[in-house]
Amino acid sequence: MLMRTDPMTAPTPSATSDKIRPAVQLDGVTKRFGDSMALHEAWLKIQPSEFMTLLGPSGCGKTTLLNLVAGFLEADNGEIFIDGDLVTETPAHMREIGIVFQNYALFPHMSVAKNVAYGLKTRGVEKREIARRVDEALALVKLTGFADRKPKQLSGGQQQRVALARALVIKPKVLLLDEPFSALDKNLRGSMQVELKQIQRELGVTTIFVTHDQGEALSMSDRIAVMSAGRIRQIAAPDDIYRRPADRFVASFVGDANILNGRLVEKRGDVAVVSVGDISAEVPAAPIAALSIGDALDVFVRPEHLAVTARGASGSLPGTVTTQVFQGGHVDLYIEAPGSGHERVLVRSPGIAALAASPVGAEIGLTIGSDDIVAFPPGETA
Amino acid sequence: MNTRPFLGWFVSPAGLVAVGLIAAMLAVFQYSVRAYIPGTLEVGGFTWANFEAMLRPLYALAFWNTVLICFETAVFTLLLAYPLAFALTRTNSTALRSFILIVSVTPLFLGEVVRTYSWMIVLGNNGFLNTLLLKLGLVERPLRMMFTSGGVIAALVHVTMPIMVIMLAAALSHIDRNYEKAAESLGAGPIRIFMTITLPLSMPGIVAGFSTAFAWTFSAFATPQLIGGGRVATVSTLIYQLGFSSFNFPFAASLSIIGLALSLAVIALLKKAASPLERMAGTT
Repeated sequence: MLMRTDPMTAPTPSATSDKIRPAVQLDGVTKRFGDSMALHEAWLKIQPSEFMTLLGPSGCGKTTLLNLVAGFLEADNGEIFIDGDLVTETPAHMREIGIVFQNYALFPHMSVAKNVAYGLKTRGVEKREIARRVDEALALVKLTGFADRKPKQLSGGQQQRVALARALVIKPKVLLLDEPFSALDKNLRGSMQVELKQIQRELGVTTIFVTHDQGEALSMSDRIAVMSAGRIRQIAAPDDIYRRPADRFVASFVGDANILNGRLVEKRGDVAVVSVGDISAEVPAAPIAALSIGDALDVFVRPEHLAVTARGASGSLPGTVTTQVFQGGHVDLYIEAPGSGHERVLVRSPGIAALAASPVGAEIGLTIGSDDIVAFPPGETA
Repeated sequence: MNTRPFLGWFVSPAGLVAVGLIAAMLAVFQYSVRAYIPGTLEVGGFTWANFEAMLRPLYALAFWNTVLICFETAVFTLLLAYPLAFALTRTNSTALRSFILIVSVTPLFLGEVVRTYSWMIVLGNNGFLNTLLLKLGLVERPLRMMFTSGGVIAALVHVTMPIMVIMLAAALSHIDRNYEKAAESLGAGPIRIFMTITLPLSMPGIVAGFSTAFAWTFSAFATPQLIGGGRVATVSTLIYQLGFSSFNFPFAASLSIIGLALSLAVIALLKKAASPLERMAGTT
């Protein structure tokens, strides 16, 4: 707000640095509510047709960021660009954005067709063209024949489709999805996720998706921005987020992780070697750059990256199976391993062989069977 | 039966009130069909004469006048109360909210008579408004505002305002703000949002507020009596005159019966006329 550049002369951001112009760009956007910092200097570039997810616990600032892009909130600092245009001060109704709200917010006094037509009417689209595009949009979300229904005559899933059609029919520059699946039951949620992803890819519409559900984020996104306490912690592809979390928060918020007590053994450029008892593993060196050889650290190991072997095998940690939990596709083993510094270690074995191989009470050895291990300086969980 | 064991106890006060009301109404009704014996408080035998007398232009005009005053009052109250209710539900400023609440609700705590007297001070020939207009040189002679239906309506609007603001604010605060945000994201400016979303969705509040204002005004007595000064005849002032100046209880009773029937009929008509609007708002 202090140094607002003239939109006419402002440099088109990154048009020079990147090959493609980002569909959405946030340059150091900050938002305060009274004394509390809702969003702290968010820097974010979203490429055209990208499915970007804002993932974080409630109160992390993800909805604030969405509202800033939508134009419902005004940034205290920083600039927002949509499609290369500076929109920091553009009112919401001129931003050409489609939004699907958590409760869908379908206009209750209008039919499905009128709801979908709303954004076309405001744009002064000709009547016959409106009818054609409404039909097209309803066909896209598989609701042909529902045009004359009222929103409350529809199921939750159908309402969501209408909301999606209403947002997409205006061919928005960006599609914003605010926790759209949280009101649906679990089965419907899965099929709607697949369908939404399909439609998104088909139309190639740039999408910002807000969720607190890491499963949704991992399965749907091209990239994920993990947020906590008003800050973006890491922006990366889902598998990178999962395999190479940038900090303790990301490592423990996304996916399950065993946090084992280890020591730094060796530094080799980008890679460091750490040990947990007799187990040794390579981890990225960057997060533990400040530590010296012999220092204690926390090693984050995903349950599926641990394997069960014979007690006493070289490079293994002794443990005892305390609980077996059959999960259908895999088996969760809870193992007491005093050397891990962790009360119970969770091992996830694919298939059902582990049921017989590792009965409760079995004395086994634990090994790490993956390269995707990360370590962070010791500290509080999360 | 045992699911709500105290229901009987809870409704019994309401039942007592209802019994009292019905008894009073029956008494009024039986008076209305008795003959008037001038010079006494006694009443004579059965007759429809009271109702027939009401067809005389003087009384028919009073009825028409009353309906007109009620209608105009309800319209002006709605127009003035809507912006207040809107601001009340939308402002983030606690100070503004308290101010609107105090301004619009405190009149409820003053009696109708007190409010009416203050309006007489405002509207009188030497009153506040006329003095102001004269001082500003906008008029040469004081405007006649007392003893006119305009003055009566102005005072009635003030009396009816709190109830209308409360009913409209209740309706407006129930509108999910996401509807407006959705409309905004779809390209609608503030005026279009108001006309296509907020106004239709507040229709149930408008209908309820309008009907209540109408009924409230229909039964108003002190305001038309004091500000109208006998020159603005409404049903309630007429009833008073007949009952307590002429002591013609039977005729006053029949006027009351017809007045009640008329106001019920008008409210029913209003409801009927408004039902397409309400259906549009998705409430029925």
